[in-house]
Amino acid sequence: MSKFADIEIDPAIVKRAARGDSRAHEIIYRSFATPVYSLCLRFTRVPAHAEDLTQETFIEIMRSINGFRGEAALGSWIRRIAVSKALMFLRSAWTSRGQSLGEDWDDVTPGHAASHGISSHPDDALDLDAALESLPDVSRTVVWLHDVEGFTHKEIAKLMGRTESFSKSQLSRAYQRLRPLLAAAAEETGTVGAALRSYRV
Amino acid sequence: MSSTATDEDMICGLTAAEHEVLRQGLRRLPETMPPRAVWHRIREQAAAEGLLRPQLVRRPSSWYAGAGIAAAVVLAVIVVPRAMHTSAPESRTEPPITAQSSQVELTALQALMVQSQQLESDLRALPEEPRVLRASTVATLSEIEDRIAAIDYQLGDAGVQMTPEETEIFWRERVRLMNSLVQLRYAQAQRTAF
Repeated sequence: MSKFADIEIDPAIVKRAARGDSRAHEIIYRSFATPVYSLCLRFTRVPAHAEDLTQETFIEIMRSINGFRGEAALGSWIRRIAVSKALMFLRSAWTSRGQSLGEDWDDVTPGHAASHGISSHPDDALDLDAALESLPDVSRTVVWLHDVEGFTHKEIAKLMGRTESFSKSQLSRAYQRLRPLLAAAAEETGTVGAALRSYRV
Repeated sequence: MSSTATDEDMICGLTAAEHEVLRQGLRRLPETMPPRAVWHRIREQAAAEGLLRPQLVRRPSSWYAGAGIAAAVVLAVIVVPRAMHTSAPESRTEPPITAQSSQVELTALQALMVQSQQLESDLRALPEEPRVLRASTVATLSEIEDRIAAIDYQLGDAGVQMTPEETEIFWRERVRLMNSLVQLRYAQAQRTAF
Protein backbone atom coordinates (compact mmCIF):
# COMPACT_ATOMS: atom_id res chain seq x y z
CA MET A 1 0.00 0.00 0.00
CA SER A 2 1.21 3.50 -0.77
CA LYS A 3 1.91 6.44 1.53
CA PHE A 4 -1.77 7.42 1.44
CA ALA A 5 -2.58 4.63 3.85
CA ASP A 6 -0.05 5.83 6.43
CA ILE A 7 -1.66 9.22 6.91
CA GLU A 8 -4.31 9.57 9.58
CA ILE A 9 -6.57 12.54 9.98
CA ASP A 10 -8.66 13.13 13.09
CA PRO A 11 -12.38 12.67 12.31
CA ALA A 12 -13.01 16.05 13.98
CA ILE A 13 -10.87 17.70 11.30
CA VAL A 14 -12.82 15.93 8.56
CA LYS A 15 -16.09 17.14 10.11
CA ARG A 16 -14.79 20.68 10.19
CA ALA A 17 -13.67 20.39 6.59
CA ALA A 18 -17.14 19.19 5.63
CA ARG A 19 -18.47 22.44 7.08
CA GLY A 20 -16.09 24.35 4.80
CA ASP A 21 -13.56 25.24 7.49
CA SER A 22 -10.54 26.52 5.57
CA ARG A 23 -8.07 25.64 8.30
CA ALA A 24 -9.27 22.03 8.34
CA HIS A 25 -8.89 21.88 4.55
CA GLU A 26 -5.39 23.27 4.87
CA ILE A 27 -4.52 20.51 7.34
CA ILE A 28 -5.84 17.90 4.90
CA TYR A 29 -3.88 19.52 2.08
CA ARG A 30 -0.64 19.64 4.09
CA SER A 31 -1.06 15.97 4.98
CA PHE A 32 -1.85 14.65 1.50
CA ALA A 33 -0.29 17.15 -0.91
CA THR A 34 2.97 15.23 -1.32
CA PRO A 35 1.48 11.78 -2.09
CA VAL A 36 -1.13 13.34 -4.40
CA TYR A 37 1.42 15.44 -6.28
CA SER A 38 3.90 12.54 -6.48
CA LEU A 39 1.24 10.26 -7.91
CA CYS A 40 0.20 12.84 -10.51
CA LEU A 41 3.82 13.54 -11.40
CA ARG A 42 4.49 9.82 -11.72
CA PHE A 43 1.58 9.43 -14.12
CA THR A 44 2.09 12.54 -16.24
CA ARG A 45 5.86 13.23 -15.86
CA VAL A 46 5.22 16.95 -16.37
CA PRO A 47 5.35 19.12 -13.21
CA ALA A 48 2.89 21.67 -14.59
CA HIS A 49 0.33 18.92 -15.30
CA ALA A 50 0.94 17.40 -11.87
CA GLU A 51 0.31 20.80 -10.26
CA ASP A 52 -2.95 21.24 -12.15
CA LEU A 53 -4.07 17.74 -11.23
CA THR A 54 -3.18 18.31 -7.58
CA GLN A 55 -5.27 21.46 -7.65
CA GLU A 56 -8.19 19.62 -9.29
CA THR A 57 -7.93 16.81 -6.76
CA PHE A 58 -8.11 19.09 -3.72
CA ILE A 59 -10.89 21.18 -5.22
CA GLU A 60 -12.82 17.95 -5.75
CA ILE A 61 -12.13 17.00 -2.14
CA MET A 62 -13.59 20.33 -1.01
CA ARG A 63 -16.63 19.85 -3.23
CA SER A 64 -17.42 16.34 -2.12
CA ILE A 65 -16.09 15.88 1.41
CA ASN A 66 -19.67 16.29 2.62
CA GLY A 67 -20.39 12.95 1.02
CA PHE A 68 -17.41 11.24 2.70
CA ARG A 69 -18.93 8.89 5.26
CA GLY A 70 -15.71 7.53 6.69
CA GLU A 71 -16.46 3.95 5.64
CA ALA A 72 -13.04 3.76 4.00
CA ALA A 73 -9.92 5.57 5.18
CA LEU A 74 -9.70 9.21 4.13
CA GLY A 75 -6.38 8.41 2.41
CA SER A 76 -7.99 5.75 0.20
CA TRP A 77 -10.77 8.15 -0.72
CA ILE A 78 -8.32 10.92 -1.62
CA ARG A 79 -6.14 8.52 -3.57
CA ARG A 80 -9.17 7.39 -5.58
CA ILE A 81 -9.91 11.01 -6.51
CA ALA A 82 -6.29 11.69 -7.48
CA VAL A 83 -6.05 8.52 -9.58
CA SER A 84 -9.32 9.30 -11.30
CA LYS A 85 -8.23 12.87 -12.12
CA ALA A 86 -4.85 11.72 -13.43
CA LEU A 87 -6.40 8.99 -15.59
CA MET A 88 -8.96 11.41 -16.96
CA PHE A 89 -6.09 13.68 -17.93
CA LEU A 90 -4.21 10.84 -19.65
CA ARG A 91 -7.35 9.81 -21.51
CA SER A 92 -7.98 13.33 -22.75
CA ALA A 93 -4.33 13.71 -23.78
CA TRP A 94 -4.60 10.53 -25.79
CA THR A 95 -7.87 11.54 -27.35
CA SER A 96 -6.49 14.90 -28.41
CA ARG A 97 -3.60 13.10 -30.12
CA GLY A 98 -6.05 10.82 -31.89
CA GLN A 99 -4.74 7.75 -30.07
CA SER A 100 -6.43 5.29 -27.80
CA LEU A 101 -5.02 3.98 -24.54
CA GLY A 102 -2.32 1.45 -25.19
CA GLU A 103 -1.20 2.62 -28.58
CA ASP A 104 1.69 4.48 -27.05
CA TRP A 105 3.91 1.39 -27.18
CA ASP A 106 4.28 2.20 -30.86
CA ASP A 107 6.18 5.35 -29.88
CA VAL A 108 8.78 3.41 -27.91
CA THR A 109 11.79 2.35 -29.92
CA PRO A 110 13.67 -0.80 -28.89
CA GLY A 111 16.77 1.18 -27.99
CA HIS A 112 14.85 3.61 -25.81
CA ALA A 113 15.10 1.64 -22.61
CA ALA A 114 18.79 0.91 -23.07
CA SER A 115 19.45 4.58 -23.47
CA HIS A 116 18.08 5.02 -19.95
CA GLY A 117 20.80 2.76 -18.59
CA ILE A 118 18.57 -0.10 -17.56
CA SER A 119 21.28 -2.73 -17.60
CA SER A 120 24.04 -0.68 -16.00
CA HIS A 121 23.69 -0.19 -12.22
CA PRO A 122 20.71 -2.37 -11.59
CA ASP A 123 20.26 -1.86 -7.87
CA ASP A 124 20.19 1.88 -8.08
CA ALA A 125 16.83 3.52 -7.38
CA LEU A 126 17.67 6.15 -9.95
CA ASP A 127 17.87 3.44 -12.59
CA LEU A 128 14.48 2.11 -11.65
CA ASP A 129 13.17 5.64 -11.80
CA ALA A 130 14.72 6.11 -15.23
CA ALA A 131 13.47 2.72 -16.41
CA LEU A 132 9.99 3.60 -15.24
CA GLU A 133 10.22 6.92 -17.04
CA SER A 134 11.13 5.09 -20.23
CA LEU A 135 7.83 3.23 -20.20
CA PRO A 136 4.84 4.56 -22.10
CA ASP A 137 2.49 6.55 -19.84
CA VAL A 138 -0.26 3.96 -19.71
CA SER A 139 2.06 1.06 -18.88
CA ARG A 140 3.84 3.10 -16.24
CA THR A 141 0.48 3.98 -14.74
CA VAL A 142 -0.63 0.36 -14.71
CA VAL A 143 2.63 -0.71 -13.03
CA TRP A 144 2.20 2.00 -10.42
CA LEU A 145 -1.45 1.23 -9.73
CA HIS A 146 -0.78 -2.50 -9.51
CA ASP A 147 2.51 -2.66 -7.65
CA VAL A 148 2.47 0.44 -5.47
CA GLU A 149 -1.17 1.33 -4.91
CA GLY A 150 -2.26 -2.31 -4.78
CA PHE A 151 -5.12 -2.12 -7.28
CA THR A 152 -6.22 -5.38 -8.93
CA HIS A 153 -6.44 -5.78 -12.70
CA LYS A 154 -10.21 -5.65 -12.37
CA GLU A 155 -10.02 -2.30 -10.59
CA ILE A 156 -7.46 -0.92 -13.03
CA ALA A 157 -9.63 -2.02 -15.96
CA LYS A 158 -12.62 -0.25 -14.44
CA LEU A 159 -10.64 2.92 -13.77
CA MET A 160 -9.28 2.97 -17.31
CA GLY A 161 -12.50 1.94 -18.97
CA ARG A 162 -10.79 -1.08 -20.51
CA THR A 163 -10.71 -4.84 -19.98
CA GLU A 164 -8.70 -6.85 -17.47
CA SER A 165 -6.72 -8.33 -20.38
CA PHE A 166 -5.68 -4.83 -21.37
CA SER A 167 -4.36 -4.19 -17.87
CA LYS A 168 -2.52 -7.51 -17.79
CA SER A 169 -1.03 -7.00 -21.22
CA GLN A 170 0.21 -3.52 -20.33
CA LEU A 171 1.78 -4.89 -17.15
CA SER A 172 3.34 -7.78 -19.00
CA ARG A 173 4.95 -5.53 -21.60
CA ALA A 174 6.22 -3.21 -18.91
CA TYR A 175 7.69 -6.12 -16.96
CA GLN A 176 9.46 -7.37 -20.07
CA ARG A 177 11.03 -3.97 -20.44
CA LEU A 178 12.06 -3.78 -16.79
CA ARG A 179 13.19 -7.37 -16.48
CA PRO A 180 16.93 -6.97 -17.23
CA LEU A 181 17.14 -4.45 -14.43
CA LEU A 182 15.09 -6.55 -12.04
CA ALA A 183 16.84 -9.83 -12.80
CA ALA A 184 20.24 -8.29 -12.18
CA ALA A 185 19.04 -6.66 -8.96
CA ALA A 186 17.45 -9.89 -7.75
CA GLU A 187 20.72 -11.71 -8.42
CA GLU A 188 22.73 -9.09 -6.58
CA THR A 189 20.49 -9.20 -3.55
CA GLY A 190 20.77 -12.95 -3.48
CA THR A 191 17.12 -13.52 -3.90
CA VAL A 192 17.61 -15.34 -7.16
CA GLY A 193 17.96 -18.65 -5.32
CA ALA A 194 14.53 -18.21 -3.87
CA ALA A 195 13.32 -17.22 -7.26
CA LEU A 196 14.63 -20.41 -8.86
CA ARG A 197 12.89 -22.44 -6.23
CA SER A 198 9.66 -20.73 -7.05
CA TYR A 199 7.84 -20.38 -10.26
CA ARG A 200 9.46 -19.23 -13.45
CA VAL A 201 7.51 -18.62 -16.59
CA MET B 1 -7.36 -4.28 -3.31
CA SER B 2 -5.46 -7.52 -3.20
CA SER B 3 -1.74 -7.99 -3.13
CA THR B 4 -1.87 -11.70 -4.00
CA ALA B 5 -0.24 -11.58 -7.34
CA THR B 6 1.04 -15.11 -7.88
CA ASP B 7 -1.09 -15.87 -10.91
CA GLU B 8 -0.62 -12.40 -12.27
CA ASP B 9 3.17 -12.68 -11.97
CA MET B 10 3.10 -15.89 -13.97
CA ILE B 11 1.08 -14.21 -16.66
CA CYS B 12 3.23 -11.17 -16.66
CA GLY B 13 6.47 -13.08 -16.82
CA LEU B 14 8.37 -12.05 -13.71
CA THR B 15 9.78 -14.38 -11.09
CA ALA B 16 8.77 -13.82 -7.49
CA ALA B 17 12.21 -12.42 -6.70
CA GLU B 18 12.14 -10.01 -9.61
CA HIS B 19 8.65 -8.93 -8.70
CA GLU B 20 9.68 -8.34 -5.11
CA VAL B 21 12.68 -6.29 -6.26
CA LEU B 22 10.33 -4.21 -8.38
CA ARG B 23 7.80 -3.65 -5.60
CA GLN B 24 10.46 -2.75 -3.06
CA GLY B 25 12.22 -0.48 -5.53
CA LEU B 26 9.03 1.34 -6.46
CA ARG B 27 8.14 1.91 -2.83
CA ARG B 28 11.59 3.35 -2.17
CA LEU B 29 11.33 5.94 -4.92
CA PRO B 30 11.34 9.41 -3.41
CA GLU B 31 8.17 11.50 -3.22
CA THR B 32 8.02 15.09 -4.41
CA MET B 33 6.43 18.02 -2.64
CA PRO B 34 4.31 20.33 -4.76
CA PRO B 35 5.41 23.97 -5.05
CA ARG B 36 3.93 26.29 -2.42
CA ALA B 37 1.98 28.19 -5.03
CA VAL B 38 -0.33 25.20 -5.52
CA TRP B 39 -2.08 25.74 -2.17
CA HIS B 40 -2.57 29.43 -2.95
CA ARG B 41 -4.13 28.54 -6.28
CA ILE B 42 -6.41 26.02 -4.60
CA ARG B 43 -7.50 28.60 -2.01
CA GLU B 44 -8.20 31.16 -4.70
CA GLN B 45 -10.30 28.76 -6.73
CA ALA B 46 -12.10 27.48 -3.65
CA ALA B 47 -12.88 31.04 -2.59
CA ALA B 48 -14.13 31.90 -6.08
CA GLU B 49 -16.42 28.86 -6.04
CA GLY B 50 -17.56 29.57 -2.48
CA LEU B 51 -16.26 26.22 -1.23
CA LEU B 52 -14.63 27.57 1.89
CA ARG B 53 -16.32 29.30 4.73
CA PRO B 54 -14.86 32.79 4.95
CA GLN B 55 -12.29 33.07 7.72
CA LEU B 56 -14.08 35.01 10.39
CA VAL B 57 -12.32 37.51 12.60
CA ARG B 58 -11.21 35.42 15.52
CA ARG B 59 -13.61 35.74 18.40
CA PRO B 60 -12.17 33.73 21.22
CA SER B 61 -15.26 34.16 23.36
CA SER B 62 -17.50 32.09 21.07
CA TRP B 63 -14.91 29.35 20.56
CA TYR B 64 -14.20 29.02 24.24
CA ALA B 65 -17.85 29.34 25.15
CA GLY B 66 -18.30 26.05 23.28
CA ALA B 67 -15.71 24.49 25.51
CA GLY B 68 -17.56 25.87 28.53
CA ILE B 69 -20.72 24.17 27.32
CA ALA B 70 -18.76 20.95 26.89
CA ALA B 71 -17.59 21.31 30.47
CA ALA B 72 -21.13 21.84 31.66
CA VAL B 73 -22.31 18.78 29.74
CA VAL B 74 -19.58 16.63 31.24
CA LEU B 75 -20.40 17.92 34.72
CA ALA B 76 -24.06 17.12 34.16
CA VAL B 77 -23.30 13.66 32.80
CA ILE B 78 -20.75 12.65 35.40
CA VAL B 79 -21.36 14.61 38.57
CA VAL B 80 -25.16 14.54 38.74
CA PRO B 81 -25.65 10.79 38.22
CA ARG B 82 -22.90 10.09 40.71
CA ALA B 83 -24.46 12.37 43.29
CA MET B 84 -27.82 10.65 42.72
CA HIS B 85 -26.16 7.27 42.91
CA THR B 86 -24.53 8.15 46.24
CA SER B 87 -27.87 9.02 47.78
CA ALA B 88 -29.48 5.77 46.59
CA PRO B 89 -29.92 3.12 49.32
CA GLU B 90 -27.79 0.43 47.57
CA SER B 91 -24.80 2.74 47.39
CA ARG B 92 -24.60 2.65 51.17
CA THR B 93 -23.61 -1.01 50.98
CA GLU B 94 -20.45 -0.18 49.01
CA PRO B 95 -17.22 -0.24 50.95
CA PRO B 96 -16.28 3.23 52.20
CA ILE B 97 -12.97 3.15 50.37
CA THR B 98 -14.77 3.11 46.94
CA ALA B 99 -16.93 6.03 47.87
CA GLN B 100 -13.85 7.87 49.07
CA SER B 101 -11.83 7.26 45.90
CA SER B 102 -14.85 8.24 43.79
CA GLN B 103 -14.99 11.49 45.72
CA VAL B 104 -11.30 12.05 45.02
CA GLU B 105 -11.86 11.40 41.29
CA LEU B 106 -14.67 13.90 41.16
CA THR B 107 -12.60 16.50 42.91
CA ALA B 108 -9.67 16.00 40.54
CA LEU B 109 -11.96 16.25 37.52
CA GLN B 110 -13.71 19.31 38.84
CA ALA B 111 -10.36 20.91 39.59
CA LEU B 112 -9.29 20.31 36.00
CA MET B 113 -12.51 21.85 34.70
CA VAL B 114 -12.08 24.91 36.88
CA GLN B 115 -8.46 25.19 35.77
CA SER B 116 -9.55 24.92 32.15
CA GLN B 117 -12.18 27.63 32.59
CA GLN B 118 -9.61 29.86 34.27
CA LEU B 119 -7.25 29.43 31.32
CA GLU B 120 -10.08 30.24 28.92
CA SER B 121 -10.77 33.46 30.74
CA ASP B 122 -7.01 34.26 30.76
CA LEU B 123 -7.04 33.74 27.01
CA ARG B 124 -10.04 36.00 26.54
CA ALA B 125 -8.27 38.69 28.53
CA LEU B 126 -5.37 38.77 26.08
CA PRO B 127 -5.47 41.30 23.23
CA GLU B 128 -6.71 40.26 19.78
CA GLU B 129 -4.24 38.42 17.58
CA PRO B 130 -2.13 40.75 15.45
CA ARG B 131 -2.96 40.89 11.75
CA VAL B 132 0.53 39.86 10.73
CA LEU B 133 1.64 36.57 12.19
CA ARG B 134 4.73 34.45 11.85
CA ALA B 135 4.04 31.35 9.80
CA SER B 136 5.57 29.08 12.46
CA THR B 137 3.40 30.67 15.16
CA VAL B 138 0.27 30.25 13.07
CA ALA B 139 1.10 26.59 12.49
CA THR B 140 1.70 25.96 16.19
CA LEU B 141 -1.43 27.85 17.29
CA SER B 142 -3.43 26.04 14.68
CA GLU B 143 -2.17 22.66 15.80
CA ILE B 144 -2.90 23.34 19.46
CA GLU B 145 -6.39 24.64 18.66
CA ASP B 146 -7.09 21.63 16.48
CA ARG B 147 -6.07 19.30 19.27
CA ILE B 148 -8.25 21.15 21.77
CA ALA B 149 -11.13 21.03 19.30
CA ALA B 150 -10.60 17.28 18.88
CA ILE B 151 -10.70 16.81 22.67
CA ASP B 152 -13.87 18.93 22.95
CA TYR B 153 -15.41 16.87 20.21
CA GLN B 154 -14.69 13.69 22.16
CA LEU B 155 -15.92 15.16 25.44
CA GLY B 156 -19.06 16.60 23.90
CA ASP B 157 -20.00 13.58 21.79
CA ALA B 158 -22.82 11.74 23.55
CA GLY B 159 -22.03 8.62 21.52
CA VAL B 160 -18.57 8.28 23.05
CA GLN B 161 -18.58 6.15 26.20
CA MET B 162 -15.76 7.09 28.54
CA THR B 163 -14.77 5.86 31.96
CA PRO B 164 -14.17 8.57 34.59
CA GLU B 165 -10.45 7.86 34.28
CA GLU B 166 -10.54 8.46 30.52
CA THR B 167 -12.54 11.64 31.02
CA GLU B 168 -9.94 12.85 33.47
CA ILE B 169 -7.14 12.08 31.00
CA PHE B 170 -8.92 14.12 28.34
CA TRP B 171 -9.44 17.03 30.69
CA ARG B 172 -5.84 16.88 31.88
CA GLU B 173 -4.68 17.02 28.26
CA ARG B 174 -7.08 19.87 27.59
CA VAL B 175 -5.63 21.88 30.48
CA ARG B 176 -2.10 21.18 29.27
CA LEU B 177 -2.93 22.36 25.75
CA MET B 178 -4.85 25.40 27.00
CA ASN B 179 -1.81 26.28 29.08
CA SER B 180 0.45 26.09 26.02
CA LEU B 181 -2.03 28.16 24.04
CA VAL B 182 -2.18 30.88 26.68
CA GLN B 183 1.61 31.00 26.95
CA LEU B 184 2.02 31.21 23.19
CA ARG B 185 -0.64 33.89 22.82
CA TYR B 186 0.86 35.80 25.75
CA ALA B 187 4.31 35.72 24.12
CA GLN B 188 2.71 36.85 20.87
CA ALA B 189 0.97 39.74 22.62
CA GLN B 190 4.26 40.72 24.27
CA ARG B 191 6.04 40.77 20.90
CA THR B 192 3.30 42.90 19.37
CA ALA B 193 3.46 45.35 22.26
CA PHE B 194 7.11 46.18 21.61
